Amino acid sequence: MNKLLATLKKEALVVLHDKVGLLLMYVMPIVLVFIITLVNDSSFRMVSGNEISILVVNDDQGDCGDSLIALLKNSGSFKLTVATKMSSAEMQQSLLDDNRLLAIRIPRNFSLQLNRKASGVTDLMLKEFGVKDSIVEQPKTVAQSLVLYYDPVLQENYRFSISNSIYSYLGALENGMIMQNLYAEMGYENVPEEIRTKLSSERVMISEVAASSSGKSPIPNATQHNVPAWSIFAMFFMVVSLGGNIVKERLNGTFVRLRTIPSSFSLVLYSKMLVYLLVAMSQLVTIGLIGMFIFPLIDLPKLELPSNVGAILVVALLSGMAAVSYAVTIGVFSKTQEQANGFGAISIIIFAAIGGIWVPSFAMPAYLQSIGQVSPLHWCLNGFYVLFLKGGAWKELQSTLIFLGLFIAGCQLLVYLKLKAQRYW
Amino acid sequence: MSTIIEINRLSIQFKGSEQKNLDELSFEVLKGEKFGVFGPNGAGKTTLISILCGLVVPDSGSVTYSIYQTQEKVNQVLGEIGYVPQEYAFYPELSPVQNLEYFGALYKIPKIERKERIAELLKVLGLQSVANKKINTFSGGMKRRVNLAIGIINNPKILFLDEPTVGVDVQSKMAIMHYLEGLNKQGTTIIYTSHHLKEAEEFCDRILLMDHGKMIALDRLQSLLIEHNEVDLESFFIKLTGSEYRD
Repeated sequence: MNKLLATLKKEALVVLHDKVGLLLMYVMPIVLVFIITLVNDSSFRMVSGNEISILVVNDDQGDCGDSLIALLKNSGSFKLTVATKMSSAEMQQSLLDDNRLLAIRIPRNFSLQLNRKASGVTDLMLKEFGVKDSIVEQPKTVAQSLVLYYDPVLQENYRFSISNSIYSYLGALENGMIMQNLYAEMGYENVPEEIRTKLSSERVMISEVAASSSGKSPIPNATQHNVPAWSIFAMFFMVVSLGGNIVKERLNGTFVRLRTIPSSFSLVLYSKMLVYLLVAMSQLVTIGLIGMFIFPLIDLPKLELPSNVGAILVVALLSGMAAVSYAVTIGVFSKTQEQANGFGAISIIIFAAIGGIWVPSFAMPAYLQSIGQVSPLHWCLNGFYVLFLKGGAWKELQSTLIFLGLFIAGCQLLVYLKLKAQRYW
Repeated sequence: MSTIIEINRLSIQFKGSEQKNLDELSFEVLKGEKFGVFGPNGAGKTTLISILCGLVVPDSGSVTYSIYQTQEKVNQVLGEIGYVPQEYAFYPELSPVQNLEYFGALYKIPKIERKERIAELLKVLGLQSVANKKINTFSGGMKRRVNLAIGIINNPKILFLDEPTVGVDVQSKMAIMHYLEGLNKQGTTIIYTSHHLKEAEEFCDRILLMDHGKMIALDRLQSLLIEHNEVDLESFFIKLTGSEYRD
C-alpha cells in the first residue's frame, strides 16, 4: 500500500511539474473548445436562428420588388438594408467593405415578369375550367434574373439555404398574384380577407424532432458536439506527456533501476496509468464544467448533461483508458522522446480528423467514413454522441463499448509483450 | 573473508553479436571487499553487472549470492543490493528529497527511518542546500551524488557502481570516493567499474581485468603489477588489452 501511494504521489508530482504537458492537456483543448464552439455556434445561428444582414438594391419598376422586400423583412430571418441606384461594382465593394455576406439586386422588370407569369398561369387555369375560350398571348420580354451577390467566405451550404429561402418567398409572391388574378377575372377587386388569412395561417408546419431513445428531445448544438469532442481530443493528446515520460524513463535508466528494486514493475506502470486516467477524467470534468457554467455567460448554449449517469461514467472511463493505453503503447514502442512526441501528436491529429472531432463523420466521403472506424477517437465520440445527442441507451452504446474494450485490450497486450521481451515483466 | 557472490561459468551471446559477450566467466567476490571490474569498451563489464543485478539472464552459468545464508538467487536478495548506473536514473523534474522518498518507499523503508536516512545522505553527500530544488537545475557533480544517494538509500550489503564518477569535478569525485570508502568500512561490498584507472588503483582491493567477455587477470593490484612487472594499473591495462581503438 505504501509503495502504491508513493508511486501515485511520485507520478502526480511528475505530471504537475510537466508544464508543457499541462499546457497541451488542459490549456490547448480549453482554448480550442472556446474557439471552435464560438465559430460553430455563430455559423449555426447565421443559417438557423438570427438575422442575416443583406443589402437589397431594388431596381424594380413595379410593386413586386417592394412585396418581396416586405416578405423578407417579415420573415425575421434577414436584416435588410434597402438601397436604390447602386451599380454591380458598388454592391460588390459594399460586401467587401461592410460586414455583410449577401446582397440582392431585384431587376428592373421583376414585377413585369411576375405579372406575366401569373397572368399566363391564370389564363391557362381559366381555360381549363372552361371560363375562357382563348389565351391572350403575352408579349415576349427578356428575362432578367434576381442577382445574389455573396462574400466568397460564405460557405456553399449557407448560400444554398439562403437561395432556397428566397425561392420560397418568390413562390409565395407568385401564388398570391395568381390568386389575385383569378379573383380579378371573376370580377372581384381583391382576394377576400378570410381567404388570405386562411392561406397564410393554416399552413402545414414542419416540426423538427431529433431521434432519441430516451424520449427526451435532445438539443443538437455547437456545445453538445464540441464539449465531448474536444474533451476526447484533450484526453488523447496526453500521448505527448505520458508517452514522452515513458520513453524518458526508459532511456535515462530509471526503468532499469526500478527493476533492481524488489518491487513489481507492473505496480509502477499501473500507477502511472491510474494517475493519467485521473488526469483524463479531470480534463473531461473541466471542459464539461466550462460548457455548463462559462459558455452561457458568453452567449453560447449551455451543456445539457444526459440523464444516464452510469453510461456517462462507463464511456468516460473507457475513453480515458483508451487514451492512456494508446499513450503507453507509443511510449513503450518509441525509440526516442522526439519519436514519441512527434508520432504521438501527429497520429492523434489524424485520428481526430478522420474520427469526426473537427468535421462530423457524416459530412465525409464514404471511404473516409470507413477509414474513420479505426480511430479510437471516433468510437469515443460515438459514445458521447449517443449520450449527449441521442438519449444514451445502453443498447446503442454496445458497439462503442466493444470497440473501446478491444482497443484497450489490444494496446495493453502489445505493451505487455514488448515489456516482457525487454524483461521488465 | 567469506564469499558473497559466486559466479560460475557465466556465458551469454546477444542477438547480432559475432562473439560471446561473456565467455565461461568464473570468479568470486568476497564479503566486504572493494572489487574493481575493468576492461576496454565492449569487454563485457556492463553485461556482467547487469547479470549480477538480475537485469539480464545469462545463456548458461550461474550467480549465487550468500547474503542471508548460502545459495540465494538474485531475485531473493534484491532488497540488499544497491545499483548506481552510469546514467542519471532518477526523476530530474523532482527534488532529491522527492526522489529519495519515492525510491525509499519502494524498498519498504519505514517512514521515520526513511526520513533519517534521507537527511543523513543529503548531509554526507553535500546536497542539504539543494534538497528541495529540482534536480534538472543541478550541475553534473550534484546529479552524480543524487544518483549515488538513490542507489544506497536502502543501506545495501552489496553495491554495484557503474562509472560513478564519470563527468564530475574533482571535488565531487573526492566526496563520492570518500563516502564509498566509509560505506565499505561499515561492511558494504562494492563492485565497481570505471575508466579512471588512477582512481581505481587507489580504491579497489582486488581487480578483475576483462577483454572480449573473458577474464584475463584477477588479483590484488600489487600482486598483478609484480607478476607482470608493471608500475601502475594503466600500463598493466595497456599491456594486457593492447593499445588499438575499441570503439
